[in-house]
Order: sequence, then C-alpha cells, then structure tokens
Amino acid sequence: MTEQLPDPLLSADAAIDAAAAAATPAEAPRDGYQVRLEIFEGPLDLLLFLIRKKKIDIHDIPIAAITRDYLDYLDRKTQINLDREAEFLFIAALLIYIKSQMLLPRETDLAEQDDPRQVLVNRLLEYQKIKAAGSILREKEEDQILQWRRNFLPPLPGESELDFEEVSLFDLAESFFLMMKRRSAADTRVIKGRDVSYEVKMKELFGLLHDGRVLDFLAYFETQESLEEALVSFFCLLELVKSRQAVAVQDELFQTIRVWLRKDARRTVAHE
Amino acid sequence: MSSDLKNIIEALIFISQDPLTIDRVKAVLEGAPDEEIQAAIDELLQDCEAAGRGIHVVHTGGGYILSTKPDHDRWVRRLLQIERKNKLSSAALETLAGIAYHQPVTQAEISAIRGVDSTYTLKSLLDKKLIKIIGRKKAPGNPLVYRTSERFLQYFGLNSLDELPSEEEIGKILQEEKSSEA
Repeated sequence: MTEQLPDPLLSADAAIDAAAAAATPAEAPRDGYQVRLEIFEGPLDLLLFLIRKKKIDIHDIPIAAITRDYLDYLDRKTQINLDREAEFLFIAALLIYIKSQMLLPRETDLAEQDDPRQVLVNRLLEYQKIKAAGSILREKEEDQILQWRRNFLPPLPGESELDFEEVSLFDLAESFFLMMKRRSAADTRVIKGRDVSYEVKMKELFGLLHDGRVLDFLAYFETQESLEEALVSFFCLLELVKSRQAVAVQDELFQTIRVWLRKDARRTVAHE
Repeated sequence: MSSDLKNIIEALIFISQDPLTIDRVKAVLEGAPDEEIQAAIDELLQDCEAAGRGIHVVHTGGGYILSTKPDHDRWVRRLLQIERKNKLSSAALETLAGIAYHQPVTQAEISAIRGVDSTYTLKSLLDKKLIKIIGRKKAPGNPLVYRTSERFLQYFGLNSLDELPSEEEIGKILQEEKSSEA
C-alpha cells in the first residue's frame, strides 16, 4: 500500500480559500455555511476540486490523503444544514469505506476492475464530464441570450397580466407582518395626531398607481409614518386586490410585491 | 424564381412563432424542388448575416426563426425594460447537462450522478419548460421519467441532441482546465 503524503505546501485550506476568492456566489447566501458550500455544487464537485489541486491522477487516488482533506473541509463548518450535510457526509462515508476495503489483507493481488476505488472513480469521471458539458452549454447560453425572439418575449408589466403569478391575500399579509417586524426593530419615534382616513389613503394609492405605474409594496410601507397609517394603507391594498382592481405580483418568496392597477380598473379611474 | 422563393420563405419564417422546419416549408411550397428550397434558405441566411440588418434568420431547434442580432441586445432590453436576462444557475445547468446525456432519466438517477438531491432543480427546469415528463418508469415507486424539451434545444441554439458537446469537445475542456491549473 503506497499512499502519498499530502503536499504540505498546498494545504487544502489554502486551496479552498483560493477557490472561495475566485468563485462568485451564484445565489445570495443565507448564512455563513451556505456561502462556503455554494462554491461547490456538491460533494463530487468538492472532491474533484481537491483532486485537481493536488494534481492527483483520478485513476489512482490516494484515498487516505484525500479523505483527510475532505473531512478537514467539512470540519470548518460551524452551522449545519442537514439536507446538504447528509450528501457531503455520504461521500465521506464512501471514502472511508473504500479505504477500509483497501486495507483488508487479500490472498491474491486485486485485479484492475476489483479496485474498491473504481466505483468512486467512475462517478467522478461521469460527473466531470457533465460539468464540462455544462460549461460548454453555458457559452452557448451566453451567445443565445443576446438574441431576442418574439416567442421568448417576457410580457411588459401591466400589458399582459396572465403570465404572472398573482399573490394571495395571505402572501400580502405575510409581507406586511415582515415589514412591521422590520419597523419595530428600527428605532422609531411615534408622532401622534393626524387621523388617516380610508378614503384619503385610497386616493393616494390611486394617485401612485395611475398611468399603469408599478408600486413596490414594501418600499411603500416603509414610507408610512405611523402604525395606524400603515394599517390603513394595507387595508386599502387588500380591498383593491379583493375587488380585483389591482394586481399584486411577487417574483419570489420573501421578495417585494409589486402592485399595479388592472387595465379596466385604470379606465374606470380615468372616468371618475 | 429563386429570388421569389427566398422572399416567400422569409415571409413564412417571419410569421412563425416557433422554428419553421424545412418540412413545413416544403409542404407549403408544394412542387418546388428540395434543392432549390435549400439553396434559397442558404441564400437567405447569408443575406441576413450581411451588414445592414438588425435581425437575422437562425437555424435552431430543428428549424428557422428570426431573431435580433446580438449587437442590439442592450437596445432591446431598454425597450422591454429588462435589466438583464436571467441565466440558468450552475446547479440548473449541471442538471440539464446530466439529463441531456442520460435521458430518459429519473430524479433519483440524476441525483446520483450529481451526488446532490435534484428535486428542486428539476422542478425549476420543468417550470422553465427546458425539460418535460415523458412518463413513469416501471420500477419500485413508479418514478417520473424526464427528457429535455424542444425548448431546451432552442435555448442553447441546438438543432438536435446530436449537436450536444461531443466527447472530443468535453475532453478539450477538461484538458484546458487541467493545464490552466498546472
């Protein structure tokens, strides 16, 4: 059994840091743990990275050294995301299993295809191929994305309302509470006095929404001075959605909700 | 006649929402010899690539379709009020590549190839209509079976699955990655 020792000059830590610096996170990280893992698409990606950094022949992987680097990487985690952790741990277990198989004494030398590493090598080679094909497809995507076709046209806001997913009243309420929570966290002064009426707010909203303008739901509530005023404007908005005068659209969960008047509603407003 | 033919085909492509296949062209222009149709299309493609046009005919998704030229991207986006077109995430791209080479494929199979649970990614690819469900596998649990869609070809400017990156192209990429890290 000849296992090469890890190169002390190129520790896995340094290598990972270099990758972290080079990679641009594709999605907004939710926490520190995610930031690190987003660099790698998964455990195979991490393993391939470690193998390349050490300039190891993929067909002759020193399992002990690579397992140590791999586990070092996992040890750096403080918070645990169980879903993804399981996938990383599964490969760690596989590595250790392979090592144990290699340590078992055997009467005869192993034939090539009986190498316990073969399963992992096949998976890595296949994954490597998919990843490379993906990078070629990415180039094609970047080329195609600059050429617009009519059947790919996204609808303009307010023009076609059918393709958007409208949010439910519950989504609206959730965003509202989210906003209120943010506000209570902020250091705010309470100004008393001014009563806000439903009619006035309704007019204000119509004013903001005329000519097919699109209103950023959360940003609008941020501008409300008091809790009472925010509540009244929220009720106005619920009323508009309920009476189907306005459309509320949310691109993604926890993102802002955009609001605009339906076309027919705009007309009735103009007539008033 | 041949220039007539070219103009007729241009009109047909203009009015098509999806890539216009050569079979459809032949069906419309009954009687016109195949080689004349092909020559007219080739000439049309050349004309469009010449300077002085904002749009061109492209061969994609197994047919011909009009699209704006890449140089005009930012003006089109300005018209449509789009900051930038969203690209696929690396996870989505990796999953798509896996499906493209292994199709028909189940969720469990694609997850095994990637070493990562791909349920969510598959769902978002389905939403984008880049993949489709073609049925269920006769295996325990009757899992759904996925394939890449017509739209997948169009999205990447391919005409058929034969145009997917070949072993040689992939090998070249891997070689480049290796030497760039050395």
